[in-house]
Amino acid sequence: MLSMQHISKVYRTELVETHALRDFSLEVNDGEFVAVTGPSGSGKTTFLNIAGLLESFTSGTYVLDGLDVSGLNDNERSRIRNQKIGFIFQSFNLIPDLDLFDNVDVPLRYRGLKAADRKERIHNALETVGLASRMKHLPAQLSGGQQQRVAIARALAGDPHFLLADEPTGNLDSLMARQVLDLLQEINEKGTTIIMVTHDAELARRAHRNVQVLDGQVTDLEAPDSHPLTVAVDNDAADNLSAGA
Amino acid sequence: MPIRPILSALLRNKTGAVLLVLQIAITMAVIVNAAFIVSQRLAKMNRDPGFDVPNMIAFQSWGFGADYNHEVAVKEDTDYLASLPGVLGVTTTASLPLSNSGSANTFAATGEEFDEAGADTPEIVANTYVMNEQVLDALGVELVAGRTFYPEEVSYRTPQHSSFAPSVIMTRDLAIETYGTEDALGKTLYDGLGNPAEVVGIIENMQGAWVDWDDLTHVLLMPGIAAGPFLRYIVRVEPGRRDEVMRVIEETLPARNSERMIRRIQPFTEIVARSYRRDHSMTILLIATVIMLVSITSLGIIGLASFAVRQRTKQIGTRRAIGATRRDILGYFMVENWLVTTGGVLLGALLTVAVNMWLVDAYSLEKLDWAYIPAGVLILWVLGQLAVLVPAIRASGIAPAIATRTV
Repeated sequence: MLSMQHISKVYRTELVETHALRDFSLEVNDGEFVAVTGPSGSGKTTFLNIAGLLESFTSGTYVLDGLDVSGLNDNERSRIRNQKIGFIFQSFNLIPDLDLFDNVDVPLRYRGLKAADRKERIHNALETVGLASRMKHLPAQLSGGQQQRVAIARALAGDPHFLLADEPTGNLDSLMARQVLDLLQEINEKGTTIIMVTHDAELARRAHRNVQVLDGQVTDLEAPDSHPLTVAVDNDAADNLSAGA
Repeated sequence: MPIRPILSALLRNKTGAVLLVLQIAITMAVIVNAAFIVSQRLAKMNRDPGFDVPNMIAFQSWGFGADYNHEVAVKEDTDYLASLPGVLGVTTTASLPLSNSGSANTFAATGEEFDEAGADTPEIVANTYVMNEQVLDALGVELVAGRTFYPEEVSYRTPQHSSFAPSVIMTRDLAIETYGTEDALGKTLYDGLGNPAEVVGIIENMQGAWVDWDDLTHVLLMPGIAAGPFLRYIVRVEPGRRDEVMRVIEETLPARNSERMIRRIQPFTEIVARSYRRDHSMTILLIATVIMLVSITSLGIIGLASFAVRQRTKQIGTRRAIGATRRDILGYFMVENWLVTTGGVLLGALLTVAVNMWLVDAYSLEKLDWAYIPAGVLILWVLGQLAVLVPAIRASGIAPAIATRTV
């Protein structure tokens, strides 16, 4: 479970003080699929960075899986990111010089897992996203949608409790976006908690719950199950198009 | 730290790395060979001269007056110098050891062998000095057997002088070269005309005139006073009194005889330094070259690593986001540099050998001592790691939040 209470984040320079989050409170239960929406500059990404322990907050309380993270040092934050959180970025953030296998392997190596265990996890993760046959390809040899699926595989391979997605379909066309969302929903149905930041209301509608952020504050907090879980998608047609991309 | 993914990433993006590998290889070839040459030059300059260089003074006496009497002038000057406080010994000589100027002659252990000579008989070449009975004290050489010259053996030579000497003192190296394992003391040595002389003393060591000569320690001392009107003096003093005695000589000796001129009063250290000036200059030049190359290579490593950090800022942020610690990032760049440096030193080792073979062939330099190659590898590894440290630390400081920025 993720619990943020009265979180604020202030960026200070010599001349300016910017309040990116103000009195931000949010609870996400295990197994939820939450969409955080809002216009540009509303504080969505700052929320995601703090939720993913990518940056610290100025005040408030943040408890992740029962652990108050405010007192953690840099190494402990790295360890929790590595073990509990999977990230999906808008620009995929794959390492261009590494093939798919090695890309998915990166966080597993940081965890210090044995080679055989890593190999099995990488195969399973790439299998889940339908790219096991391309594990020796470089990211540049794949379409955008495929690259994002590799990023999802990289996030999944570590078996995270939370998957944090930052505009995961922002760089994809609508068909590939649907594929990626389908995949995220499948993952969520298997029990992984997903928090997705997006400015696209259409995509947000596929989550269990929408959280609207404006000027660094939660302005609209819907109750769980107020939205339908799925939208009908022709998966076969999507796969065919993706393979041809 | 995993090597394979770092290596495969390097191989996929290799232009900068290949250039750096070449730079490291060239640096290694130059610095290893330069270090070897420098060490040889230093060893050459630091050889034991066998005589007391720091406490010796040399000067020239040049009789020019119509009434100049060489024998009288030499005797008076020698006696006067020997009487000065702090002086341990005085000798005259036609040339100075370690001055790159002198004379050498051929000798043989047996007269018969030499008579039948021709080209087939082994001849010993030795650097010769004609000096007086104070020779051992004036040079500070160590007598290991026999005696110094008797005063009666010391004769005044003339420019036409052609006879050998009643007795000679030789260095141990020359004795071994001439007589092998036999005791040289009391043996007869023959000059180029077959004239005999008795070996009356063996000195442990003394370097001759030419610092580049292979037989530098083949030195033969003969009793006598070199022919005038020009000759040199060597004065040896007690430790710490050299400058004081030099001043006294400068102030008093010229006035004692107006028929001769005293010139170039100088400490012996200056004479030796002049003889090694070329070696000294070469050493400085090579050290400067090494420092310059090492600096350029270090800057190359820093430059490439800094470029890589700037180019991979988002990648580093992503690695941090998905679990890398600062230490992991630091280690990544250190290992990456180590791999590049290793490529450079492996190629550099081959290049070092090739350059040395060329130097041996073209300039008759000595073959490289192979221990210098692992030493060069070690130095360049350390240099590489030090050079990459600052960019690597900067990389490890990149915030994980960079990963979510759409740059």
